[in-house]
Amino acid sequence: MTFAPALTTLILFLAIGIWIAAILDAVFYRRISGQGGVSVLSPFYAAAAHLSRQRLTTEAPDRLNWYLAIAGYLAIATIGLAVVPFGPETAVIGIKTSVVLWGACESLVVVLVFLHGWSPNSPLALIGAYRYVAIGLPIMLLSMFVLIAAALPARSLDLRDIVASQEGLWNIIRQPLGLPLFLLLGLSLTLRGPFDYADSADLAGGTSVEDSGANRAGWQVARLAMLVGFSAIAASTFLGGYLGPILPGIVWLAIKTLILMAVVIGLSHLLARMPVARMLGLIWKFLLPIAFVDLLLAGLVALA
Amino acid sequence: MAKLASQAPVPVFVAQGDDAPAETARLCLNSTLTIVETPRAAAILLVAGTIPASLIPNLHRLHDQLPHPRATVFWQAEPTDLLSEAVTVRNDDNLVSVLTDTRSSLLSGSHGTEADLLPDAPPNEWRGVGSHGQGGKGMMGGTPYGRPMAMTAADFRDGLELDAYTADFGPFLPMFPPGLVLTLTLQGDVIQKVSVVHLPFAGEGNAGAALLRLLGLPALAKRLLRGPSDDADFKRLIRLSGVRAAIPPGLGCAPNGSDVRERFERLTTDPGNPSKVHVDGVGLGDLLIGLEWHEAMLVLNSFDDESLRAICANTSSPELEEKNGDSMDHEGHAGHMS
Amino acid sequence: MTDIAFYALSALAIWSGWRVFRVDSMIRATFALMVSFICVGGIALLMSADYIGIATVFMMAVEMMVMGLFMVMFMMNPAGLNPMQMVHQHRFSIGAGIAAFIGLTVAVLATNLPNNPLPAGRDTLHDLGVELLGGSMLIFETAGVTLLATMVGAVVLSSRPGRFGDSDAGAVPPGLQPGGQPAGRKVEKSGGHGGHGGDSSHDMNMKGAPKSDDAPHKRHGKMPEEES
Repeated sequence: MTFAPALTTLILFLAIGIWIAAILDAVFYRRISGQGGVSVLSPFYAAAAHLSRQRLTTEAPDRLNWYLAIAGYLAIATIGLAVVPFGPETAVIGIKTSVVLWGACESLVVVLVFLHGWSPNSPLALIGAYRYVAIGLPIMLLSMFVLIAAALPARSLDLRDIVASQEGLWNIIRQPLGLPLFLLLGLSLTLRGPFDYADSADLAGGTSVEDSGANRAGWQVARLAMLVGFSAIAASTFLGGYLGPILPGIVWLAIKTLILMAVVIGLSHLLARMPVARMLGLIWKFLLPIAFVDLLLAGLVALA
Repeated sequence: MAKLASQAPVPVFVAQGDDAPAETARLCLNSTLTIVETPRAAAILLVAGTIPASLIPNLHRLHDQLPHPRATVFWQAEPTDLLSEAVTVRNDDNLVSVLTDTRSSLLSGSHGTEADLLPDAPPNEWRGVGSHGQGGKGMMGGTPYGRPMAMTAADFRDGLELDAYTADFGPFLPMFPPGLVLTLTLQGDVIQKVSVVHLPFAGEGNAGAALLRLLGLPALAKRLLRGPSDDADFKRLIRLSGVRAAIPPGLGCAPNGSDVRERFERLTTDPGNPSKVHVDGVGLGDLLIGLEWHEAMLVLNSFDDESLRAICANTSSPELEEKNGDSMDHEGHAGHMS
Repeated sequence: MTDIAFYALSALAIWSGWRVFRVDSMIRATFALMVSFICVGGIALLMSADYIGIATVFMMAVEMMVMGLFMVMFMMNPAGLNPMQMVHQHRFSIGAGIAAFIGLTVAVLATNLPNNPLPAGRDTLHDLGVELLGGSMLIFETAGVTLLATMVGAVVLSSRPGRFGDSDAGAVPPGLQPGGQPAGRKVEKSGGHGGHGGDSSHDMNMKGAPKSDDAPHKRHGKMPEEES
């Protein structure tokens, strides 16, 4: 595949992924709440309903940053998906440091979610914004250790090499601590469930409390896009990405991405959110040492 | 476009008044409606029950925060003077069909959108001095639109001395018990001062569902509202969700020793029969001060209405008379549209 | 193509750097600076320094975020509602700016910059790693994790919940026998090395504490003194 077909694949992958993620989200929600089925067109209805309403602003917002936050979140999700190899040696952004690029995306997500809460000039949105930063930064730190551990067996910071290194054995078996920790990052990056400190119900929607019309639709789409991007990264890092028998690589990648998307959505609907201070204690005192252990084990295996 | 949009559930923001119909809380179970948590996401403002005269200005401010096209529906309530054109529903049976019809006619344009009730102007005129309006002398100190910048103040938790920010919150915030208006002073998201501006309405509470929603489990909240809550599946899901670990032990401890965790357990296992908490002179200040926002919301929603009213009544509120004129809270924006 | 990207990124870097001083809010200034750095990182990417370019983006985003967070904590100013002047000490800063500009320009003009293009397929990342750390990679990796663990440990030790209770509630170790005097080293009355940590931190807590909490503080605080 050359660049143009790879880019087309990326856009299709993202668009279909967003649509399926929206349906999966509704299916889980309705299953758990004990309601009936979901129409496969419901995401389009919801989007049309949002777009049919006016975009309101608040008294003295920072309009530029407000739009930049929404557009940037979507862009970062797309860049995240672009480093994922769709087949051997095929990624839209094929650079030797793609894992570091994904790390940069993670840190920019924190910045953009913060801006999204800061810009509308609203106290509830601002509280959501800085609360998210407090949780988002340590979770990101955690994911760095997990990613370094995953890069060790491949002896490369290139996601293509990391996938190739899983030919014999997937990283999920080689480093069993990695994927669970990385999934927590996914919950945090997509503002979901137990890690949704930005857009949570106790702040009446947090950073998105003032979004209306197209802005609201844009933010929701960006969150789902980030879910797709994250799941594809996680599938490549831990589940062997495009590797698999018989079917073409892109199909295997799509199946694994779908499974991880379902897991993240399921976790977000099933786990309760704890107060910020309690969560910070959990991350710094409990999860970070586990990430150290993960890195240590991977390092010892690499040295042996 | 309008056709596609009319297939989506009707987004309704509920402003609950006094004597709101008992079914209000269960409206979210109807799959043709979505009860949204912010007026910005709503097409229809549903006023359920009587809004006391003192809160009508808040209702009008709330109304102006809905995006166009918007409509107001009064359910078992008298329309206010400014909203006399709004749809009213007396009969419970046809509420959902009225809401759906109103939305369709809004989308098709046959029902004109409602205009702003309040002037779209800043509460105070521009008073900035200097090139940025920063005050002219140093880096800051200006009071543009009459608001000085929040300034650092002593705190009693960690010595960080963050900015103290005071605003009125309520009465229609979805995470507050309906009718409750509090003046809160926040440093970061920690509550430093609290006084009651308006007591919550009396009525049948749904504290269990509210707590589940606050804990990020809205689907389980719906399931609890639907009842019967003795199904084993629900209990297993609650246990698996780690709610017990998520609520800190000893949070919101009442004089009789019950904390939020214990009250939550009772509310979710036996929602029809909430135990009364012995209030015993406890005020909101004793319960909320020093808590983070999330914890404070859990505490507020863990009481039955009667106990919460008693607790609010115990809270000293010197500013009860003071006008909440230029408050900047969520429901307090004067509605500025682009 | 590369040239166009270079000039566009340079222009954006300079423009956003200029905006840092012209905007009226700290958050805007912070993130304008971040954009400037990201552009510089992009230029490094164009020069085939992948790792350095992306690491710049990564580190600047985190750094600026932490800086911005502290600004919001101490200056609750959503959306820059209250405008601020972002420049001060005009005369000194103009002088420093001109001196820095002349110095850097001289340095750039005087340096004999290398002009040999990178051979295709060269793994710059590997070269950079060897250049920076050589054979000490393992030591640096270990030191990095150890330093982070130490920082977390320091924060945990200095935070409010201590081993013997909350620090603002006295945090006195229990007695050796029931009701006996607290175990451990006695705190000197004042002045001496022992009194330093105890007294100053205690003062800080007293100032912030609400009136009703004063009584238990004094009780706990006095205990060691009475014994000594």
